[in-house]
Amino acid sequence: MTDRKAAATHRLRRWTGRFAAAGLAALAPLPAPAQAPALEPPASRYQPLPRRDLLLTGATILDGAGGRLTGDILVRDGRIAAVGPRLPRPEGVEIVAADGRWITPGLIDIHTHYGTYLLPQTRGEAEVSDVIESSDPNVADTWIEHAVRPADPAFSHALRSGVTTLQILPGSGALFGGRSVVVHPVPAVTLAQMRFPGAPQGLKMACGGNPASSFGGRGRAPNSRQGEIALIRRTLIDAQRLAGRRAAHRRSDGDRGRQGRRGRRDGGGPPGGHERDLRLETLADAIEGRLPVHLHCYRAEDIATWIEVLGEFGLRVAAVHHATEAYKIAPLLADAGVCAAVWPDWWGFKREAEDGIRENAAFVDAAGGCAILHSDIPVLGSLLNIEAAKAAAAGRRAGLDIPPERAIRWITSNPAGTLGLGDRIGRLAPGFNADLVVWSGDPFSIYSRADLVLIDGAVAHDRANPSPRNVPDFELGREGAWQ
Amino acid sequence: MKGRLAALLLAFGAAPAAAESWAITGARAHTATSQGTIEDATILIRDGTIVSVASGGAVPAGTRSRSAGGRNVTPALAAAATQIGLSDLGSAPESDDRRIRSGPLGAAFIVADSVDPGSLTLALARADGVGHAFVFPGPPAQGVISGYGAWLSLADPAAPVAQEQAALVAVAGILATDLAGGSRGAVWTQLRIALEEARRLRAGGRFDGSAVERANHEALLPLLERRVPLAVMAQREADIRGAAAFAREQGLRLVILGGAEAWRAADLLAAQRVAVVLDPLDDLPTSLDTIGARPDNAARLAAAGVEIAFSVSAQGVWLSYNVGPGLRTGAGLAVANGLPHDRALRAITAAPARIWGIAGGIGELRPGAPADLVIWDGDPLEPASAPVSVILAGREISLVTRQTLLRDRYAPATPRTP
Repeated sequence: MTDRKAAATHRLRRWTGRFAAAGLAALAPLPAPAQAPALEPPASRYQPLPRRDLLLTGATILDGAGGRLTGDILVRDGRIAAVGPRLPRPEGVEIVAADGRWITPGLIDIHTHYGTYLLPQTRGEAEVSDVIESSDPNVADTWIEHAVRPADPAFSHALRSGVTTLQILPGSGALFGGRSVVVHPVPAVTLAQMRFPGAPQGLKMACGGNPASSFGGRGRAPNSRQGEIALIRRTLIDAQRLAGRRAAHRRSDGDRGRQGRRGRRDGGGPPGGHERDLRLETLADAIEGRLPVHLHCYRAEDIATWIEVLGEFGLRVAAVHHATEAYKIAPLLADAGVCAAVWPDWWGFKREAEDGIRENAAFVDAAGGCAILHSDIPVLGSLLNIEAAKAAAAGRRAGLDIPPERAIRWITSNPAGTLGLGDRIGRLAPGFNADLVVWSGDPFSIYSRADLVLIDGAVAHDRANPSPRNVPDFELGREGAWQ
Repeated sequence: MKGRLAALLLAFGAAPAAAESWAITGARAHTATSQGTIEDATILIRDGTIVSVASGGAVPAGTRSRSAGGRNVTPALAAAATQIGLSDLGSAPESDDRRIRSGPLGAAFIVADSVDPGSLTLALARADGVGHAFVFPGPPAQGVISGYGAWLSLADPAAPVAQEQAALVAVAGILATDLAGGSRGAVWTQLRIALEEARRLRAGGRFDGSAVERANHEALLPLLERRVPLAVMAQREADIRGAAAFAREQGLRLVILGGAEAWRAADLLAAQRVAVVLDPLDDLPTSLDTIGARPDNAARLAAAGVEIAFSVSAQGVWLSYNVGPGLRTGAGLAVANGLPHDRALRAITAAPARIWGIAGGIGELRPGAPADLVIWDGDPLEPASAPVSVILAGREISLVTRQTLLRDRYAPATPRTP
């Protein structure tokens, strides 16, 4: 492991630690920090659906961490209690015979615009879209969750396709696009009812053509790649100053604490009596490691530049999204500890994406890096397993050894890590949330269907017995697709 | 028709290696005909044409043969509606020739003239096992007629256009509402007026409009004479029924492009012998015209006796890039949702040529059909499968593409995977 990789791992632990703390905070609120409290998302109001303890038996299990076995999974109180061959059958546990079927962790899609790119798209929404606030290159103070409509049919579509956790990102028209939100695609009326309890937010950023054309086209900055870098540096210098003031205050509070005096809890205002600036405060949160960066970027040289420049400010990129040229810099990404969230075969729609190849994910993986398949649009979000199947098959044809138990990581444990949820979802192991899919067959076959989708141990989708509640409000009375 | 002639000559005559006889043995041959699947098939090829397909068939003495090793062999794929060859980079308007973006050109627009034989999308389609494609012009700038779509045969890379005027394409529904003046029903009035003008011109009537308008009207003659079908891009049931009624009234052959809600009009479409080119991946209400989109659209239409073929767009992702894997993904998904495997394969091999009225057994493995076929490394309807060998007009083509060259340049020398 290189020094840079070690440093990256250290940072990862640092912020996963913070995420764990945030998770606890949802249950037992921590005392408010003394100064300049960072804005935290409101508490989740998600409630697991009604559930019973289950023993799923006789399945081919891909555990999400690289393991494969034929055996059983015991689900108790919404968590995985045991995984293994021929588990004992405790009293009072419902048996689900899964012989001949396959079980994987619930799929995780870290790149969606569900609820904001609202289906069906109408011309009005195309003209004034909620996908991103596009009035300024820095809209770091926007939270995409404030725009999400849970009734978007894309959510139930994803659920039927085996997706149990997804991230909703702001779009790519701004450099600092705002905060993401992580949800379960369950029937809900408010965002809070879908919010993944304790999941950290992320910070969306975008490089290259989209921000430059979005603002350059209006005669504003940035209108070039170099202008983008200059602007993010200028902005992050201010954010760094704020982070420094925060750190100084934490130190002085700590000193006062050791002297037996409690720090002031005035609950507002940055240190030193400055006016609040939620854009800078968001970026300072990111600098402090509280908001992992999800970077939209295609070209290899752009990705390398942005990782380096963001690194100047201690910003860690959790994943570079789309990354059609990730394969050209796979070792760099692996050393930096940056995941590449890619498609297997979507390219050509613009010059930035002219060099996409089908082996992209496999080459990232082969370099010891973190490969992820993502969707961006609902039609691909319902085929994540097939996207992974194609990406793995391309890698195999290029001579790489990528068995199913390895490829499944690309849509389970790898994306979980970028969300700071790697210790809770994405794997079938004791203690992990019982988010899983029982597939009718090999999950990498086009003919296989998600028979059962469990979230926190509760059946969220049952293909044989579909819940009327999963029909989106929009489709009621419209003789829609799923009635 | 220069392109058509050249393509036929080159595809079936001039290719040097095509003149010899050779055979593929040990094939699991999916014929896309009533013969179904033939196990351990010997496929005899001569002069770019299939001579015979027979289980355990003997190879004549002195004839070169190659074993398929029990692998699946299908006809080369056919895309029933795509835009390969018309745009290589979506963000470069100067190389985007998919539609007329300004001016009154309508029916007189022949998109075949815009097809670039050097397009990477054609090269990739070939390497992915696509032998034939119908390419269509996108919505016009004025009026509701997009122009003529072309039939491509990819055997000869230098001359892909096999039929310049394969079908006349018109738009209905959301695509046409503004073009028709603001209300979708006006599409049929506009088309009716255009056809009446064309008939009047044909009868020697005076025409006072511009030369372009005159050309637009004259270009409708092949349609009136039923030499080509009218392809109407329509998704909503009402627009599909509107198109069917208009075709009945005018005595036209009709093909529906899109057809997300076609399952609701399946009986009518079967009775009127209207074919539907649909996208099996369309199962979401992405627009107000596709609220009834459902994953078993293909299965329901086929069960009702409607001829179907696939155009797999996935909201634009695979319409022109990766058209081969896109078609197979759509066909596989249709099977997962109830369409029989052989019908799904037919929808991406034999059905397109039938629907667009292209003769000659294209897309079938049978004596007399062009020797366009693919040997696969797995089930051809599994997206993860890929061609082992692509044979067009009797010749094995190179599978090297720009993408494989990039792959080879950046392939990891030694995987660092533990």
